[in-house]
Amino acid sequence: MRLCEFISFNAIFISLSVSVSGQAVVEGKVALPKLHSAPVMAKRYEIVTHGGILSTEPPLAVVYLEGSFPKRTSLPIKQITQRNFAFVPALLPVQVGTRIEFPNLDDTYHSIFSYSPAKRFDLGRYRPDERPIPSEVFDLPGLVTLRCDIHEHMRGLILVLNTPYFVVTDPDGRFRLSGLPSGRYVLKAWINSKTTREQPVELKNGGTISVDFP
Amino acid sequence: MIFGAKANEREVTNFRTKLAIAIMLVISGVTGLGIYLGQARVNANAERDLRQKFQAELSGLDKLQELRNAALAERCRVLAEKPRIHAALEDNALDLLYPSAKDELHDLIEGGSDSPDPSVGFLHARFCRFLDGNGAVLSPSHPKDVGELSLKTEAQLALKTLPEKQQIGYLTEDVDLADETVDEVIAVPIFSTETGEVISALVVGFKPFEIASKRAGVEVKSGIWAGRRLHMPSLPKAAQTILNNEISNALSKAKRAKNSFTVTIQEVPQLLFYRRLNPGSLFPPAYEICVYSLVDSIAQQQRLRWQFGGVGALLLLGGFVASHFVAVRFAKPVEQLALDSERNRAQRKQAEAELISASEKLKRSTRYSADASHQLKSPLTVLRAGLETLLAHEDFKPEIYEELSTLLHQTHRLSGVIEDLLLLARLDAGHLQIQSEPVNLSQLVEEWLDDLNALPDSPDVEIQKEVPPDLYVAGAKRYISLIVQNLLENARKYNRKGGRIRVAAQRNESVIRLTVGNAGQPIARDAQEHIFDRFRRAATGATVSGHGLGLNLARELARLHGGDLRLVRSADDWTEFELHLRVAQPVVEHTS
Repeated sequence: MRLCEFISFNAIFISLSVSVSGQAVVEGKVALPKLHSAPVMAKRYEIVTHGGILSTEPPLAVVYLEGSFPKRTSLPIKQITQRNFAFVPALLPVQVGTRIEFPNLDDTYHSIFSYSPAKRFDLGRYRPDERPIPSEVFDLPGLVTLRCDIHEHMRGLILVLNTPYFVVTDPDGRFRLSGLPSGRYVLKAWINSKTTREQPVELKNGGTISVDFP
Repeated sequence: MIFGAKANEREVTNFRTKLAIAIMLVISGVTGLGIYLGQARVNANAERDLRQKFQAELSGLDKLQELRNAALAERCRVLAEKPRIHAALEDNALDLLYPSAKDELHDLIEGGSDSPDPSVGFLHARFCRFLDGNGAVLSPSHPKDVGELSLKTEAQLALKTLPEKQQIGYLTEDVDLADETVDEVIAVPIFSTETGEVISALVVGFKPFEIASKRAGVEVKSGIWAGRRLHMPSLPKAAQTILNNEISNALSKAKRAKNSFTVTIQEVPQLLFYRRLNPGSLFPPAYEICVYSLVDSIAQQQRLRWQFGGVGALLLLGGFVASHFVAVRFAKPVEQLALDSERNRAQRKQAEAELISASEKLKRSTRYSADASHQLKSPLTVLRAGLETLLAHEDFKPEIYEELSTLLHQTHRLSGVIEDLLLLARLDAGHLQIQSEPVNLSQLVEEWLDDLNALPDSPDVEIQKEVPPDLYVAGAKRYISLIVQNLLENARKYNRKGGRIRVAAQRNESVIRLTVGNAGQPIARDAQEHIFDRFRRAATGATVSGHGLGLNLARELARLHGGDLRLVRSADDWTEFELHLRVAQPVVEHTS
């Protein structure tokens, strides 16, 4: 529940921040892959691998508008916490250049590292009261797999994007991107590490278009 | 006889020797069999002991090795699950693979610094390598970090396909030609956390478990045969080469049920055991080789053989002595038997010779009698015929007739003598065989008495007859008749004028006694005992005809019939003879 709030909060935050410079809105639905396991009441999003594909479980998608946009001077600091031996959120899209903090909310050591080409880092072991909170700046686009050296099952995904316009769908696959600049773009939906769908869109100021990713 | 005894002795000795040899043979056979079986058993025991020893050591070793391998495999498995290794493999960061591995394996890899305690080192890896998805070796950019290997050695780590399970292999490493080492490698599959497939394999090399170093006092040389090469540092290089060929030959043959064979290394027979170290492994087969010198065992066997031989010899000696005694003992009765039989044979031969000679004599005498009879009778017949012819003439003077008649009478007499002589000769030769039948003695006496009366010159004598009728005696009628005739004629001949003859017969149980007595001059006392001799007559004058054979013949015939004839008395004008004959069953006579 907290995760959902968190994601929606982010989405709202992004849409608010973007609304200043654009008016276009894209909304629609991404057809998410079926659940691999029966849904549980307390939904915990985890990164799972099936057939070499990293995705969240239950499935979520990231919808983002691709194109070249002017870089912003200051980007907000994001957080991925380690809580109950899991990364929260399990999937986090960020714009290139974003700093992400990794607070440890468990009572034990975690040792976050990534060997992903988009970002290699190794925070080493640290305890919950480590200050300043260990953080990294992600300045290359791509998918970063987070691992914990101590807890091999822990996985987290960071999708580093060139665009400031992105949103995580709700569990049903619905999304809404607002404040988009007008023009012709490609709207993409990242579904998992191997699957990214795209649709060309033409955005007009004040207009709301509906795009579904079947 | 002496020669025979000698031959006899030789035969007995022969028999004794044969008996002794037979007993010896049996004893030798039994001893030999015993030695053979004993030796076979000892050999089998020795080999079994050796095998058991080896198996015990191996199983002890196995457990240690298993423990160690299990520990190592567990470490490798844990290592293969390390997130950094997975991250390097799965997140496309192969450049970080070996650095991560070095980091993760820092406690496993010996590295540059040797531990002062060598026993700690046995769990330490000498090197580690990763295999890529095709089973080829991923070469580290900084080999020092994960253990340096020559390219050739490194290539041995490659597998055709990635293993699903842990594999054990052995590779020979040419550090330099003089001293090559063998490494035990454990290959652990690395499963992708994403796909669950084997994406790589971690190959960790360790020092092999040294057998020899762990066992002092046991003279087992051990080594490893891997990659078609033998690694047995305790053997000299040349011996290793020879042994290597032997092992290669043995292993290349069809699967052998036995896991051991004997080899000769440096002119010392050795028992070699081998055991596959990595059964079912994807790595080339490797064998543990143990060589056990058979010198002690052979020496022991030699000793045992000598002991057996000694015991066997003693047994044989004992057997020889025993067999000698037994043979002598057994031979004794046989010897006696042989001696007796020899004696018997000699006696028999003598008897046979005597019999033959007697038979010859008899034949000769019979022939003589027959010849004599013929030779005497023929001229006599001619003579008598001539005299009778002359008597038939009528032209001679009367005194010539008288003379001729006397001559004729003499030829008759001669004829009787010859008959008697021939009969006696046959009696003497034992040729006279009587066919016994019942003879009516009473009748015989009657007939002869009639004949006596009928004789022309019969003297005037009174005849008293006391013979019961139908007295049957056993004998030949012809000879019984002859006896009776003789007795009656004598009684008539030697009677005086007006004398008397008394004939009496009586049966006394199985004997019939016939007495014939006559009156007349008795026989002189000194002549009495000779009257049964041949050609002896009571000198009573030439008037009495006879030739002195009659009584003798009668007695011989009576005796031939199982009876006898003797003079009962001859005195006081009375001479009496008594004839004994056996009674015959008169029934036969009556019925026939």
